[in-house]
Amino acid sequence: MNDMIICRCEDVTLGELISHIENGSQTVKSLKLQTRAGMGICQGRTCRVLVEQVMTYYADESNIISSSVGTNFPIRPIRLAELAQNGKGDP
Amino acid sequence: MKFDLVVIGAGPAGISAAIKARKNGAHVLIVDENPVAGGKLLGQLYEVPDKGWWIGQRIAEKLVDQATSIGVQFLQETEAWGIFPGWKVVLENSETIDTSYVLIATGAAEKALPIPGWTKPGVIAIGAAQVLTNYHRVKPGKRVAIIGVDPLSLSIAQELQLAGVEVVGIYLPPINPFSQEKADPHYLLTNLAKMSHLAPNQLLKTAGKMLHNPFVKKLAAKWYPANGLKIGNIPLYLRKRVMEIGGETEVDHIRVAPINRNGGTVLDDSIPVEVDCVCLSGGLYPLSELAGSVGCKMVTIKELGGTIPLYSPEMETTQSGLFVAGNITGIEGAKVAMAQGNLAATAISSRLGLLENPSSALEQAISEVEKERKNAILTFMPQVEEGREKVTTMWKTT
Ligand SMILES: Cc1cc2nc3c(=O)[nH]c(=O)nc-3n(C[C@H](O)[C@H](O)[C@H](O)COP(=O)(O)OP(=O)(O)OC[C@H]3O[C@@H](n4cnc5c(N)ncnc54)[C@H](O)[C@@H]3O)c2cc1C
Ligand code: FES
Repeated sequence: MNDMIICRCEDVTLGELISHIENGSQTVKSLKLQTRAGMGICQGRTCRVLVEQVMTYYADESNIISSSVGTNFPIRPIRLAELAQNGKGDP
Repeated sequence: MKFDLVVIGAGPAGISAAIKARKNGAHVLIVDENPVAGGKLLGQLYEVPDKGWWIGQRIAEKLVDQATSIGVQFLQETEAWGIFPGWKVVLENSETIDTSYVLIATGAAEKALPIPGWTKPGVIAIGAAQVLTNYHRVKPGKRVAIIGVDPLSLSIAQELQLAGVEVVGIYLPPINPFSQEKADPHYLLTNLAKMSHLAPNQLLKTAGKMLHNPFVKKLAAKWYPANGLKIGNIPLYLRKRVMEIGGETEVDHIRVAPINRNGGTVLDDSIPVEVDCVCLSGGLYPLSELAGSVGCKMVTIKELGGTIPLYSPEMETTQSGLFVAGNITGIEGAKVAMAQGNLAATAISSRLGLLENPSSALEQAISEVEKERKNAILTFMPQVEEGREKVTTMWKTT
């Protein structure tokens, strides 16, 4: 089961996530930064809930600092040119 | 130009709200990412007992016609990626739209259900099978297995069969961090009974009737026949788990293992079953990132399907002027979504000063939501009423 892919966009397997937890990852954010799970083209639309589930399932509960990550704008992938253009206005 | 109301999401909730607000005199724009308006309505097709067919695509077309005829503006194939105070809605083409009120009606998404082999070509989500079959009229496969037992998968199994697809069976997923109670036959038996009291199809109705008897329910998990019960023509295997989806370059079989009387999997007795398509049903969750990132207070309520923005009895979030309606507030059927849309639009119209008698209009809109919830033909979350009560209590204490 450990070679099952969890983050499809970045090809991160269950085994990789588990080994980071065993090596001390205590937040979903650190899992994300170490493996890129959730940082692919779908921006976690598919794997976000799964990574949170892996965290709560495999980590020792007293060790988990946070089992979720927040959301930030933009909530969907957009072209950099659009972001740049937008920065000139004042939204 | 500044709008009175920008609605994000052209599903049943969003379009109903736009129509209501426009009728009351508001200037309304709907933004939706899909080429065609209608949201999840577009894939829905089933027979409702004593009421005939529910054809979501037709209902969507009618709503859109009505909306356009009274002057609601639609912007299709446009994602909204941010909302900023004031209010400003930012679209993917970097256009910024000014508006007095925003209604976020972004609906729900499907939860993934990882199983070894789930990334092979030929494995799709149950919702994709619904849209392919009912909307595009394309069969997802010739011999299809469904993994995950819930009202949505049971109902879509029937829809696939109607379209001439052979459904070899509905199975449980293996026990793993992702399947949780979906892998537990006892939990499923208990909840199927609750979910199916007014089910739209024979499959659910039979399952529901069978399990209303508490004695049957208790025994059922232990004595449920190992080779399944045929409901309609589709075997429902509450005592089989799919351990793996196999195939060299694409799906050509699933490996099925029996479940013993204690709920454990008997791996030694697993057998391959030939299929060319597998549909995974992991359940639905509210799509609430937009509300989360603009600073609405978010709460996680299991009974409603996940994390939602906390909302008032009038559907307003903790950000004044930002409203929500439909599945973003919890997973329910299309008619509840429409009633919630009406309620939010009534509240917004009242703030805009467009209503002569706002309090009675609001009262009526609130009771419509309750009525639709009671009469719902598909209940996705068995404890939805408790979930709604939690929201009310939490709102009072914020
Ligand atoms: C796969 C699936 C199958 C379902 N089947 C049934 C069924 O058979 N019967 C039933 O009663 N209910 C069904 N439901 C429940 C269904 O969600 C409700 O019936 C109803 O469609 C909810 O309405 P809504 O308006 O809240 O959301 P939706 O109908 O989901 O509409 C939301 C719309 O907003 C769009 N959107 C989301 N985010 C953005 C953004 N950032 N920018 C622009 N547009 C955006 C979406 O693409 C979508 O078009 C199903 C749900 C799912 C997910
Ligand atoms: S599946 Fe992980 S980012 Fe897309």
